[in-house]
Amino acid sequence: MRSTLIDVQSLSKQYGRQKVIDEVSFSVEEGETLGLFGISGSGKTTIGRCIMLLEKPDCGKILFKGRDLLKMNRREVFGVRPRLQMIFQHPETSLNPKMRVKESIAEPLLIHRRLGRSEIDEELEQLIRQVGLRPEHLERYPQQISGGEIQRAVLARIMSLEPKFVVADEPTSMLDASVQAQILRLMMGLQEDTGLAYLFISHDLDVLRAVSDRIAFIEEGSISLIERNECKKRWSRSKRG
Amino acid sequence: MKCISISKSNPAIQGRIKWTPCHRIMANRTVAVCLVLLAAMVLIAILAPWIAPYEPNDINLKESLQSPSKEHWLGTDHLGRDIFSRLLYGATTSFTIAISVVAFALIWGIALGGIAGYFGGLSDDIISRVIDLFLSFPSMIFALAIVGALGSSVLNLIMALALVHWASYARLMRGQVLSAKSNDYVSSARVIGASDRRILVKHILPNALAPVIVLATLDMGHVILSAAALSFLGLGIPPSVPEWGSMLNAGKEFMRTSPYLTLFPGMAITLTVILFSLLGDGFQEILDPESEVSGLVAA
Amino acid sequence: MSLLDVNDLNVGFQTRLGTVRAVNNVSFEIDKGEVFGLIGESGSGKSVIGMSLLHLLPRNARVRGRAIFEGSDLLALDEEKMQKFRGEKIAFIPQNPTASLNPLMKNGLQASEIFEQKGYSRQEAWDRALGVMQSLLIREPEVSAKRYPHQLSGGMKQRLVAGISLSLEPELVIADEPTKGLDSISRKRAIEFFQQLEGKERRSMLLITHDLDLAYEICDRLAVLYAGEIVEMGPARKLMDSPEHPYTRGLIKSLPKNGLEPLEGSSPSLLGLPDGCFFRERCNCQTIDCRKWHPQLSLNNGWMKRCVLP
Repeated sequence: MRSTLIDVQSLSKQYGRQKVIDEVSFSVEEGETLGLFGISGSGKTTIGRCIMLLEKPDCGKILFKGRDLLKMNRREVFGVRPRLQMIFQHPETSLNPKMRVKESIAEPLLIHRRLGRSEIDEELEQLIRQVGLRPEHLERYPQQISGGEIQRAVLARIMSLEPKFVVADEPTSMLDASVQAQILRLMMGLQEDTGLAYLFISHDLDVLRAVSDRIAFIEEGSISLIERNECKKRWSRSKRG
Repeated sequence: MKCISISKSNPAIQGRIKWTPCHRIMANRTVAVCLVLLAAMVLIAILAPWIAPYEPNDINLKESLQSPSKEHWLGTDHLGRDIFSRLLYGATTSFTIAISVVAFALIWGIALGGIAGYFGGLSDDIISRVIDLFLSFPSMIFALAIVGALGSSVLNLIMALALVHWASYARLMRGQVLSAKSNDYVSSARVIGASDRRILVKHILPNALAPVIVLATLDMGHVILSAAALSFLGLGIPPSVPEWGSMLNAGKEFMRTSPYLTLFPGMAITLTVILFSLLGDGFQEILDPESEVSGLVAA
Repeated sequence: MSLLDVNDLNVGFQTRLGTVRAVNNVSFEIDKGEVFGLIGESGSGKSVIGMSLLHLLPRNARVRGRAIFEGSDLLALDEEKMQKFRGEKIAFIPQNPTASLNPLMKNGLQASEIFEQKGYSRQEAWDRALGVMQSLLIREPEVSAKRYPHQLSGGMKQRLVAGISLSLEPELVIADEPTKGLDSISRKRAIEFFQQLEGKERRSMLLITHDLDLAYEICDRLAVLYAGEIVEMGPARKLMDSPEHPYTRGLIKSLPKNGLEPLEGSSPSLLGLPDGCFFRERCNCQTIDCRKWHPQLSLNNGWMKRCVLP
């Protein structure tokens, strides 16, 4: 019986007079992938950003393992950050264009684990192997690598923190079909290896059917339905990354 | 019609080479040439006391208004002072003023614009109103007023011009910071737990500075012109201190008979401003190659 | 009767790092009334082909080959003659509708501009523009015409741009990634829109896309591009239902609804294409011969395939 990791309760937010999300409630269990399907403007991205504390909701609660994220002070938030991570839609703006790939991947390590130079290099080697990048990618700038490689680098960056919950906001919608399949397989593989949970936001129902345990449907700011998904793809252990 | 850009940054092309900033500066010939020429001018300005054949204030009425000759390469002015020497010392003055003003404007502009853009809220409201206030004055009149009130000296001139110029830097910086802030990599930095300081220094600043640097480069030329204009009007620099603008001022009465009094300082000003302009355009292309403006420049 | 006959099209870009071979020996024909698709992923060269036909490539492009359209070679035309073709005979529906619309101009004015240029009076041009908007199912054309682009949804903007492009009833339409960036509902609507467009007018179209669903629904024939060359070409639906070339097969299987089987590796750099078959490094049927020579397209009953293996 998996325990509840994230519990969103009656989350609401409006911009001016526009209600972007309206009394949204759902939960995500440990190790599961909850798909969130909606068209542009449905509020799905805002939900993800609120959980990540990038935006402040007007009311509601966001419980992580029972504690309300919205009521935490700065120090507590800093402590819990490694457990909650996010991947974004547009590879071109996901990494700082002025930092080399290896600096971006190492940044979380510098902030949280305060490792020394050689320890960081070792960690980097292990991280990129986990996501299927090669050492030469480390030296490059984001503009010099492809969209798929950027998403791999982003995954390496967040995996260094050993997150328990990852919000994936349309992570593959800007990628070619064949690359999308590679990245999705990578993400599912990481889930299997580490037991992390995803809130997978997408407007592509085919993708959600392939990766989700349950799918929530959001329309004009409210969740209309959450159903079990029987079609989740089982990846064979042999092929990975 | 939008053309696709098979640009240097296309991963299918880029792949295996590192385009460090050095590579890019050297690859752009205009910038390389301008940098070399300007560096030479600055060097000459610094070495003026050693290179100049005469003292700038060596008044010698017997030798006044002489045409260029072997003893006086660019001739003498109405007080018999060697124009070439005054030009060299004038370079020192002009560059000192330009660098001081731009440095001041950069520091205040980046600091205040950055704070306003990043933190928003009340600090943004206050700083933006201050920026608006300073920008609402017509610049030359504002500078005239300050110098007029405080008196003619190089220091007062620098202060006046700095007060006039800083606000545009702040406004530009604020806009750049707002735009950089909206990028996913900034959100990502916040999500991994980066502090505000880290985000500002590592993520926002490097991505916001490029147009501000271009502005500073182009502004150097403007400041020299403004200083020259103020001196030409008789304000700003005491007449004994050699400065290109005041040389123009002093020489304007003699333009018909001895044009070289105004010709050479005029050429010096023009050359410097052109070099800075080209440098600024070149920097724009290097630092911000994806922007539409630089596309026009590069073509 | 072929409307467009492209022969041995080669496009290279001169860059400081060498020549980027974006399009290599591409040949295809489009018949009157046919919808022909160019399918490929990023870097395959499909957009470059579309742009080259209308001289829309940047200055460092080197184009070789012929593209015969109504007796003239499009690639050899000078700018003056090309301007007559563009818009009137051949229309281009660009990728990003937002970027193609002037945010400061009312929609109706943008749609009627093209008619005014052809000599119609302002009123006549406006009426014609309304007619175009109506036929494209833009809701309440009179109201939308008085609004601005930012007040339209993504799908509507796409239709408006398409409408403007089609105003002068061109013989050939080149549509560049019409569904890029649209969410699934807008995509469905876009597919319906194109189907309706085709159904009514039987317009000849060159569709450039990586959206396999769109291609399946509206293309008659299509060509699959990889590393700048055609690797498979044939009847659209049959080809996508049972592809023969390993790349096409891999591409189709990587779709989520077809099993999400990833295609390993990535496309080769166009600066340094490999020896032999460009796809061999990612192909699971690779043999020694695949490295030895570069396979040509073999024709078999209206179906073309570029592979060393039969």
